Formats: sequence, structure tokens, C-alpha cells
Amino acid sequence: FRGEGYQEGFRKGTHRGLQNGRRNGASHGAKLSSEISFYYGFAVTWKCLLECNVDNKSRKRLRALEALLILIQKSPLDDPQSMKLQEDTEKLRAKFRQVCSMLNVPTDFKDYIKTAEGTSF
Amino acid sequence: MKKALDLVQRIGAHPDSRCWFVSWSPNGALLASCGGDKALRIWGREGDSWVCKTVLQDGHQRTVRKVAWSPCGNYLASASFDATTCIWKKKDDDFESLTVLEGHENEVKCVAWAPSGNLLATCSRDKSVWVWEVDEDEEYECVTVLNSHTQDVKHVAWHPTKELLASASYDNNICIYKEEDDDWECQATLQGHTSTVWSLCFDAAGEKMASCSDDRTVKIWKEYPSESAQSDLSWKCVCTLSGYHGRTVYDVAWCRLTGALATASGDDAVRVFKEDVTASPDEPVFSLVAQATKAHSQDVNCVSWNPKEAGLLASCSDDGEIAIWRFEEEE
Repeated sequence: FRGEGYQEGFRKGTHRGLQNGRRNGASHGAKLSSEISFYYGFAVTWKCLLECNVDNKSRKRLRALEALLILIQKSPLDDPQSMKLQEDTEKLRAKFRQVCSMLNVPTDFKDYIKTAEGTSF
Repeated sequence: MKKALDLVQRIGAHPDSRCWFVSWSPNGALLASCGGDKALRIWGREGDSWVCKTVLQDGHQRTVRKVAWSPCGNYLASASFDATTCIWKKKDDDFESLTVLEGHENEVKCVAWAPSGNLLATCSRDKSVWVWEVDEDEEYECVTVLNSHTQDVKHVAWHPTKELLASASYDNNICIYKEEDDDWECQATLQGHTSTVWSLCFDAAGEKMASCSDDRTVKIWKEYPSESAQSDLSWKCVCTLSGYHGRTVYDVAWCRLTGALATASGDDAVRVFKEDVTASPDEPVFSLVAQATKAHSQDVNCVSWNPKEAGLLASCSDDGEIAIWRFEEEE
């Protein structure tokens, strides 16, 4: 009976574990993509706003926005187990902060995004 | 050869508060101090004594942790716990606030001007190091945000001749940054200290770097051409000074005129070390040549050598005082 009980428990545990894992993964994935999409939308909007300006300052800002967009495009968002993802996300966040500083925009976006901190694999 | 560290003057600089940092102007005529009273004070010589020339009170909302002079001596930068860095411009005998650099998420721990005068570095408890560029119109812009440390970054310092930046952190490491392909990156991580690295500085030629730590040691690092083709240089620890400091070593300063190394410690003492000329350059030996064991009544936070007058040393402490010392090397 003990053997059977064990088997049953093991099966139920595996099932529960898979469910939890899936939920957890989905939640982290959603948070991360919502954060990165925010940066993408932010960068695209500012690019549109500044594209027509020819002054030096705007040109520097456009270059930084371009760099941010390239970083987003290059990051391996489809591969959650990639080591590069963690590194790239950090670089993205740092670049975003730098761009905000250049645009004189305060980086208090707590109402819009919740960064997926503490995501480790 | 007798060496002494004599007290020239003791100043009650930041009353009822801590004095966190002192910095000499590039021409050696003025001393800037900052403290827990949120103020910056500029001290100048009048006859034989040092007097307060200016008080800059309204620049910050919290403690001012560090202050730095621009290489030309016309600007001051102050780093504060209020998360901002204020740039001050000299106007006759006074200073006025030019601009405020914002962006760090919390306490700014240090600010440093590059020798070129065009770049500024700041670091913070938010674990990042920011590099700012100044243009001809006195406009400051952040060019990069570097996240190489995993904890509070305590100090940043520029190399005297190359565009190289070093940072010290609560994560026990030192990071070296260089501009590569139009962006800054961490070129090396120096491990060795077993606790928080509080400060670091380069020698006059920029061939050696001294770092000090909560682990009560001072380490000397030297630059070597790297074996691998990737990076052209690597830094190795060539000497560790241990057993001299009873507590945390908070600051280390290398005199660009004499090569003497001064330290500030939590054991209330100020010490001066000198490199033995006889030892091999790859295995330098430093000896303690002078000390003031009761330099202050509390933790000594900073030591700074006057850049023009050899042997003139300033220190400051949690007791709110600044002390001016003369280090003499009598033959």
C-alpha cells in the first residue's frame, strides 16, 4: 500500500509542480515582456517626436534612442533560458535610464511597469 | 631618517555634524569640505591659518558625501545622499549653482572629474556608475550607465593620464572601465579584498593603484600587459598592507609630488606609508613612516594631499573637524 501511495503522491506532485512552474514562468514572462515593450513603445514615440529636429541635441538623443531600439531587437526574448537574456535585460534597463536622463524625463514609471526583478534561472 | 606628522591646525568645520570629505583645489590654495550638515565649505589661507571663505548651504536636501574640483579649478561638483550631484561655478570669491544632475535612484556616494575636464563620473547606492559629458555650453549629458557592481558603489576615480575609470564597491570588488566602440564597458573586475572597498586612487604616473577596505588592509595594484589578445592590460595585486590599521580603512591618498601614501581609518588615526626604493618594482614594499594615532576623536573619513605644497595633508572626521598636517622627511 505504501508503494502505491508513494506512486500516487509522486504523480500528483509532478502535476502540481508543472502547473506551478507554468504559472510562474508565464507570470515572469508577462512581466518581462511588458517591461521591454514599454521601453520599445517609449523609444518609438520619442523617435517620432524628435525625428524632424535638426539641432545637435536632438541628434544625440535620436542616436541614443536608436541604440536602445537596437538593443531591444537584438535581445533573445524567445529564449528564456538564454544566459544572454539576463545580461541584455540589465543592459537595456541601464540604456533606458541613460536615455531618460538625456530626455530629462524622470524614471518613475511605477504605475506603468513592474520590472521583473529577481528572475533567475 | 626621521619622519613626522605634525598638526598645523584643527578646524571645527561642520559643527554638530560629520565632515565626510575634503578636497584641495588644483592650485592648492583652497580646501573644500562637505558634511552631514548638507553644506559645502571653502577654506583659504589667511596669514598662517586656514579660515572659512564661503559656505554653500542650499545646494542639497541631505548629507553631502563628496566634493570634487574640476581640473581647471573653476567648478565644483558635490555628491549628495539626496540622489543628486550639484555643479557649482566659481564667480569672483563665491560659487553659484550651475546645474543639478539627476538620475541616480538613491544616495550618490561619489563624484570625480576626469583630467580632461570634459567627463564626470558619479556612483551610487543604486549599484551603478554614470559617466557624464560636458560640452562647451556647460551642458551635462549622461553618456552611459554602468551596472557592473552587485552592491552599493562607494567611490570612483579617474586615471591621471588615460581615459580609464575605476570604481570601488560594497561587493568587495574594484571595476575598471574603458570606452570601447563608442560605449563604456567594464574592462576588468579586481577581486582580492575580503570586505567593502571604500576608496581607491592612482599614483602620479597611473602605473599603480591603491585601494583600501573594511578588511583593514590597503592593496597596491599594478598594471601589466595581458597575455591574451583580447584586452591590452590587466591589473594584479602586488602588495597588501595589513596589520597597521585597527579598524576599517576609509580612504587612501597618493601624493602626486612625493609618492607618499596616506590612509584614513576608523581607528581614528592618520598614517603615512612610503615605498622602499630598494625593493623590486613588481613586488613593492611599503613601510609605515609616520602616524597620528589620535588624529581625530572619531573615525577619520578622508585624507587629501595638497597638489602643490609637498607634505601638506588634510584629514576630516565624524567628529566634524578638519585637521591640517605637515609631513616632514628630515634627513
